Amino acid sequence: MTSDLAVLTEDLTKFYGDHRGVEGLNLEVGTGEVMGFLGPNGAGKTTTIRLLLDFLRPSRGRTAVLGLDPRRDKAALHRQIGYLPGELAFPGRDTAEDLLRFFGDARGGVAWSKVTDLAGRLEVDLSRPVRTMSKGNKQKVGLIQAFMHEPALLILDEPTSGLDPLMQQEFLAMVRDARSAGQTVFMSSHVLAEVQHVADRVAIVRDGRLVAVERVESLGRRAVRAVEIHFHDPVDPADFTDLPGVSDVVVSGPVLTCTVDGRLDPLIKAAARYEVVDLLSAEPDLEETFLSFYYHSEGAGDAHRTRA
Amino acid sequence: MPTALVRKTWRDDRRALIGWAVGVAAFTTVYTGFYSQFQGAAQLKQEALPQGMLDFLGIADMLSPAGYLQATIFSLIGPLLVLMCAITLIARTIARPEEDGGMELLLVNPVSRPAFAGQRLAATAAAVTVVAALPGLLLLLLVPAIGLDIALSNVAAAGAGLVALVWCFTGIGFLVGAVTGKRATVLAVTGVLAVATYMANAISGMADGLGWLRWLSPFHYFIGTDPLHTGWHPGALLTLTAVGVVTTAIGVVLFDRRDVGV
Repeated sequence: MTSDLAVLTEDLTKFYGDHRGVEGLNLEVGTGEVMGFLGPNGAGKTTTIRLLLDFLRPSRGRTAVLGLDPRRDKAALHRQIGYLPGELAFPGRDTAEDLLRFFGDARGGVAWSKVTDLAGRLEVDLSRPVRTMSKGNKQKVGLIQAFMHEPALLILDEPTSGLDPLMQQEFLAMVRDARSAGQTVFMSSHVLAEVQHVADRVAIVRDGRLVAVERVESLGRRAVRAVEIHFHDPVDPADFTDLPGVSDVVVSGPVLTCTVDGRLDPLIKAAARYEVVDLLSAEPDLEETFLSFYYHSEGAGDAHRTRA
Repeated sequence: MPTALVRKTWRDDRRALIGWAVGVAAFTTVYTGFYSQFQGAAQLKQEALPQGMLDFLGIADMLSPAGYLQATIFSLIGPLLVLMCAITLIARTIARPEEDGGMELLLVNPVSRPAFAGQRLAATAAAVTVVAALPGLLLLLLVPAIGLDIALSNVAAAGAGLVALVWCFTGIGFLVGAVTGKRATVLAVTGVLAVATYMANAISGMADGLGWLRWLSPFHYFIGTDPLHTGWHPGALLTLTAVGVVTTAIGVVLFDRRDVGV
């Protein structure tokens, strides 16, 4: 089955001394899939990416990327990978054009029209030295070098950082095009909104551990929503406090507010015994859902001890 | 045709390389060209300085052409210049990009880790070799042009010695950078080692019982053999080269084994 997986990690673990980078990471990214890799800063996203690229060596566990061993097959593997670093720094004083020619030559030659197409889409002037560019323009040059050789696997660490909203949309279009072309995209972010419109699935890491892998559309079903019910007469809180998935029950006279995790059915059945005047259910917010995974779970408090 | 990475390395080092090359060439030309004018001053200098100081500075005699070249080009400032060039450039192969973050986009080059280190090193070593060879090459032209009475074979031997000395310290600098990834460590360790071994060579000639010290000093293998008077000493040159090659090889192996950029 390995051939169907662009990325496979088994028990992938990295310690820096006593410091935990990531631990026991089991991750599978299918070929042709767009996967968002989400977590707060310092959760271990960048560590994981650097392990996939063989910049770091695992303390334990193993990795296969495009079916290859990141260390043994580094040369063959990196030809098929487009990588955008999270902390983008370019070597040397070259203009963007010279720098991109270097990346193209190093990867065995890239059609220059591909580069100019991307530069046109992202609206960046390649004749300027990269050093003098704004953060947003540097990010664009970084994206161009990641996409230019049409790699089988794109590994993008915080790809939208520094891009204005219009360019973020253009970037998302580039990701969709990549998926249409059969390329696999593995992109990290600390904001769900950045990836939810293009990702097929999201993997969520917290404190160096993988806490969930979900299809994006099923994230909504798990949503915690705020519900407010207005009854005709005052109600007994005891009828609602023990319902599955229902918490934070507050009853003041005929008005009940609570939060519901999952399906609304138990709450509706219980409420049906009274005369219901009005029912308000706030649209589930994916961002809140996402945050609830790591802020409201055990162990979230020591997240600051791990490294990015 | 050099690889894209080698050409990129040269391009990034271009300014520094031109600066060092011009400086070393100017230094060699000016000092050598003014041999006759300096003779009066040199005699004064030699008479004014105590013998111990002359020994420490590696000055046998300032009056003969060979003694003059040894005192000016080969004993202190010449090696100092080319070693500074070599050490600062070798610190750029791995340590500097690793510190300033440029390493990630260099290391995604589709070559193995050892090949990456090898190409970075090859590019810098070639550049450093050119700079280190400049004094010898220029002297091969200047010595007959000015009419200095030194066998060209001896000039070539001294020039080759300077290159071998630079290879020795380039290898050590590369090893430190490949293992630590810290630019300041490369400059400090290699620089201190160069100064300490220079002093060891100088002191060994002055104090009885410390003569063995010179065998530990690369400078002894370079200039202690007195190549301007005695010509080629292949064993000494090979020893310096071997140190450079072995430290380089160890550096490549250790770089292949460690985490990069953390």
